[in-house]
Amino acid sequence: MEEYAATQLRAEPHKGDPQGLPLMVEAIDITKTFGDFKALDNINLMFKGGEIHCLAGENGSGKSTLVKVISGIYTPDKGTIVVNGRNYSSITPVQSMHEGIQVIYQDLSLFEHMSVAENIAIGKLRETNQRLVNWPQIYEIAAEQLSRIGVNLDLRQELREASISTKQLTAICRALAMDAKVLFMDEPTTALTSREVDRLLAVMSELKKSGLAIIFISHKLDEVFRISDVVTVFRDGRKIGDFPSRDLNQRRLSYYMTGREISYPKYQRTSPDEPSFIELKDLCKKGMYENISLKLRKGDITGCIGLLGSGRTELALSLFGLNRPDSGQILIDGKEVSISSPTTAMDHGIALLPEDRAVQGLFLERSIAVNTTAAVIKQLCSSILGFFDFKKERSAAVDSIKRLKIKTTSEDKLSGELSGGNQQKVVLAKWLLTKPRLFIMDNPTVGIDIGSKSEIYEIAQQLAHQGMAILLLSDELEELTSNCNRIAVFYHGRIIKLLEEDELKDPHTAVFINAAIASGDIAKAQAAAKAARAGAAVQTSAAKEGK
Amino acid sequence: MSFKIARSEGILLAIIAAYCAAVAVINPAFLNIDTLFDLIRTSSRDLILVMGLLLIMLSGGIDISFMAMALVGSYCATWLMMKIGWQSAAVLIPCAMLISTIMGLCNACLVSWLKLPAFIITLGTMNLFHGLMATLVGTRTFGGGILPPSFSAFGSATLFEIEGEYGAVGLTVSIIPVIIVVVLTWFIIYKTMLGRGIVAIGNDENSAIRLGFKPLYLRLFAYGYIGALAGLAGSIYICQVNAVYPDKMIGEELMVVAGAVIGGTSISGGKGKIFGAILGVIIIYLLKSTLIFLGLSASWNNFFVGIILVLSLSFTAWQEKVRNDRHLLFKVESR
Ligand SMILES: Nc1ncnc2c1ncn2[C@@H]1O[C@H](COP(=O)(O)OP(=O)(O)OP(=O)(O)O)[C@@H](O)[C@H]1O
Ligand SMILES: [Mg+2]
Repeated sequence: MEEYAATQLRAEPHKGDPQGLPLMVEAIDITKTFGDFKALDNINLMFKGGEIHCLAGENGSGKSTLVKVISGIYTPDKGTIVVNGRNYSSITPVQSMHEGIQVIYQDLSLFEHMSVAENIAIGKLRETNQRLVNWPQIYEIAAEQLSRIGVNLDLRQELREASISTKQLTAICRALAMDAKVLFMDEPTTALTSREVDRLLAVMSELKKSGLAIIFISHKLDEVFRISDVVTVFRDGRKIGDFPSRDLNQRRLSYYMTGREISYPKYQRTSPDEPSFIELKDLCKKGMYENISLKLRKGDITGCIGLLGSGRTELALSLFGLNRPDSGQILIDGKEVSISSPTTAMDHGIALLPEDRAVQGLFLERSIAVNTTAAVIKQLCSSILGFFDFKKERSAAVDSIKRLKIKTTSEDKLSGELSGGNQQKVVLAKWLLTKPRLFIMDNPTVGIDIGSKSEIYEIAQQLAHQGMAILLLSDELEELTSNCNRIAVFYHGRIIKLLEEDELKDPHTAVFINAAIASGDIAKAQAAAKAARAGAAVQTSAAKEGK
Repeated sequence: MSFKIARSEGILLAIIAAYCAAVAVINPAFLNIDTLFDLIRTSSRDLILVMGLLLIMLSGGIDISFMAMALVGSYCATWLMMKIGWQSAAVLIPCAMLISTIMGLCNACLVSWLKLPAFIITLGTMNLFHGLMATLVGTRTFGGGILPPSFSAFGSATLFEIEGEYGAVGLTVSIIPVIIVVVLTWFIIYKTMLGRGIVAIGNDENSAIRLGFKPLYLRLFAYGYIGALAGLAGSIYICQVNAVYPDKMIGEELMVVAGAVIGGTSISGGKGKIFGAILGVIIIYLLKSTLIFLGLSASWNNFFVGIILVLSLSFTAWQEKVRNDRHLLFKVESR
């Protein structure tokens, strides 16, 4: 008990909370190991009602593991969980649910063939041990929860027809229907567009006002700062500390997470200025994009930015043979090619890192080694007899693990046992091994921590220096401005502006791009950038005068 | 739950109507109340079985041992009754249902504990049940002469009779158990948490566990239920043919599975409709019974069922693809 008090003093700088928020869940000395590996090491934490508590840390630092321990999926080796004044040395999922702990998992845990309404209500019906089903009651429960968070959804829609955002809100409503008092959300925003993120964050603050404790995990630091009251930083399974978010800024937070200063490298194209090797001419696909013309040279990192439905993902899929264009030409090395399937795309040296993790084709039941080499099996066969060369597979995998800093105990670990971000890195490694000439990356750093991000950027830039062309689709402006030597702005299926290297040097391009993707109006966007420039000039001159 | 005919069921109905029209044009004798009553009579066994199969497939599993359970249950029950001397169809049915339910529960335990694909397990138990019966109980055939008269009385009883072209035809009483089973299954699936739980584990077992559903109990129910129905269906069948053979029924299970699949029941679980499954079985029996009207030999039956099965699977796959394309979801295959 004394030891506990001591750790508390050490670990809870914001303990003397003047607002007197109620304590909902307390984790005391939680340790969890997988084999010899310590995923959580003596964690002490408190979650309070009416507070949004953010867990931050690098990939594999133990955030999801903590959530799973508190919700009863994993049993801790050591430690106590205190909920509503009751002590549990281990808690079962059902107990944890009864105590009002609810988790929105990364996979959402919904039932695809049921309606939105039933998905919302089924948890409550199960929890209250109902025997019979009363359909009007189901719709009532669903409507009630939706009105609580102030959104409207089509209750009768079959879930598999619904958008990710609808699914997310459904999962939240289900948790609320089960009387959630503590709501864990593990990377809920990874698959959402920025408008949907806004809606989700608004719902979260609404719930916070009603007294819920919300625990939020995200690698997007701007979201963390927008929404959270307290941030707890994890590193290698240990807690670094709890910080009120008003005392933090992005730089300090990323320093706490990684233990070093993070800065993104800026890309400068160095490849010789030879003509483009891939050219798109007037590519059209009805309802998706039209008249896309684009030339890609070796060493170009071309950024693509635009809102959902702006056509860039659809274009990327077309280049990988997954979405046949209606008209237009694709020229590779001056010859027209027809890319009818991913196989032909790969034969032409094109690789795609798709956005949706779920369909990226990671074999969760197989080892990292198998997964990283899955796309290059032919090259791993010994040249004479055609037998599979396990040594080569192993060394390729070990190289990839080192290069991308995949956090794992060995290359034989099952991919399903990796943390979310590290699974993402395995997929990246798999495609990098194919040594593509054109690598299309659709939001490659979603769910990846800020430290690994800069490493991935370094790798991408190094590959570009060696002559690879990269098409980088991203929603993060900073990711694009630091990595790309050109940026294509998409709006309603068209490239409305292609910003070249010298235009990107202007510090106010960000203003321009933001205005352009939202309005689609170049003149307006230019005016906005001009105004920003003028504003900045006024400020600097004012600052000078002030001196 | 409003009763709405979904698109896929509408298509099945259209196919049935078009096919009937075509057969009627070729052979007008087909359009007769006789044909309908005969269809109902012969298909009642499989209509009962497909209801159990639907529940199993909703749970994400499969059971191909149900014909073996139907046979073993009804065979053992008959054998017992002959031994003891109670000779009534009213005893046969509960007795057969009890025996088959026990076999169904065994299936549930094996599926839950071994964590092997249900197809493999029930393939094994299908042979196991049959083999146990053959060695322990025997392989004697009970012909019409030995069986109690109440069997054939029940098998050929009719609710009412209509004066048809070729004499009086009647609607079999076995339509009553069929209706009861259909309504009961509908009630279980849509009106009880038990049924919703079964659908839930078929959709996503882990998510269902997280909500507190207990897959073991749900499986015990589902596999027990198909066992009970198998006992009932087997009893009705032996009363209808008025004979008990030690090797009939086995081998016909895939037609019922085909019926369920044609009716839109998903092989991967979580999705399926009662009306669709009924239509699927009806189509199969319709094909079977119309071969005579078309002047084809019985061996064409499998061929036709195969075609419909392939077509309906392609239709589902195509629907899935259209849906995925709309959502821009693609599986990226590695070579
Ligand atoms: N079931 C498991 N078996 C073995 N190791 C595991 C298992 N689950 C997690 N780990 C390991 O525990 C560590 C922590 O994983 P966790 O999922 O908690 O990370 P995280 O902080 O959520 O990371 P991310 O931001 O990438 O989601 C990882 O190194 C992971 O490999
Ligand atoms: Mg995680």
